[in-house]
Amino acid sequence: MLQMTRAIVPAAEAPRRAAPAALLAPLLAVVLLAAVPPLALGAPPAGPDTTTPAAAAGPPAPPPGEAPAATSTDADSPTTSAAAESSPDTRGLDQEIQDLKKDVVDLNKDLFILEEELLFPANTQVAVFLSVDVGQFFGLDSVQLKIDRKEVINYLYTPREVEALLKGGVQRLYLGNLKVGGHELVAFFNGKGPNERAYKRGASLRFEKGVGAKYLELKIDDRQKKLQPEFEIKDWE
Amino acid sequence: MAQRWLCVAVMALGWSLAAQADSPYALIGQSAPDFALRAAVGGNARLSEHRGEVVVLSFWSSRCTPCRTQLAALNRSLTTYHSAGLAMFGIGVDDDPAQARDFARSASVSFALLLDPAKGVSRSYQVDNLPMTVLIDRSGTIRTVLRDYSPESEQLYLQQLRALLNE
Repeated sequence: MLQMTRAIVPAAEAPRRAAPAALLAPLLAVVLLAAVPPLALGAPPAGPDTTTPAAAAGPPAPPPGEAPAATSTDADSPTTSAAAESSPDTRGLDQEIQDLKKDVVDLNKDLFILEEELLFPANTQVAVFLSVDVGQFFGLDSVQLKIDRKEVINYLYTPREVEALLKGGVQRLYLGNLKVGGHELVAFFNGKGPNERAYKRGASLRFEKGVGAKYLELKIDDRQKKLQPEFEIKDWE
Repeated sequence: MAQRWLCVAVMALGWSLAAQADSPYALIGQSAPDFALRAAVGGNARLSEHRGEVVVLSFWSSRCTPCRTQLAALNRSLTTYHSAGLAMFGIGVDDDPAQARDFARSASVSFALLLDPAKGVSRSYQVDNLPMTVLIDRSGTIRTVLRDYSPESEQLYLQQLRALLNE
């Protein structure tokens, strides 16, 4: 009876007693959220302590007409939504990185051209190229280049480079500056001639350097009639 | 008195050699100087053609006894790791190319033994001891230098080589 009298509370006092409970419920929920591991939050509550507010302790039962995704647990929803949202962001970032790389390559190209223009201005520039045609009677080993009796380059060729030249590649062997006037170019070709013998030949050209860039080409060709290689220096007009 | 001076001179020489061996290699972390050299046997070689591979350079001389043993050991490692992207070159520093060629023929290794009689490459790699081994990573940076040959240094070499190949 005493218990009953204690249980029966006047209507006016009911809010006053319910107020501490309402204050404590969120606090308890926070403590529980902090104490329970995140993965366990999605698990159905077990045991008699299920009197805590439904919003804090476990997932509310989905209403009949609501989609299940909207009622997923608090722990699962951030990861899935983050994964779904991050992929477009990553794609955008990748695109930005690719654009930046392209800009860097373009800038590098522009700087290279600018550097060449500054170091080798068109009015003094002279460039020597080398090409090999067939190469049956001559295996290229090295080329020594002299301009006005001064050695400007001595280039050693590897088998890969020779292969590239034989496939039709043209190599820019030398790029330098010369003043306007008459000059002499001498090229010495070292390698293996017919029957794998050491072979050294030279070729020379006197040329006139005018205003504007000068391009010369060293050509190694096979002379079929003599079964010998032929070395030629060609002046590109 | 003369004995005392001789003792001091020997100690000074030993100290300077030890200091040289312990001194840090200045090119570590720097880009490997490019070179093109003639091979004692076979075709010429250019370092820059091997960018993207781990490159091992071993400086040797025909008068260096441990060099022969080391070249044989390097050849074994090349056989094992060649398929993983390993390139190897021996660079002879002999003044006489004929002597170096004789040594190269007798060494019977599967990698190219190059000749550097003018010592331009040896100078650019600051070779101060023989044998000397330089390990270059796939991006062309000098990563490790071994200035002697011993079982310990061989273990260290293999350890460093594996690390570079795995990068």
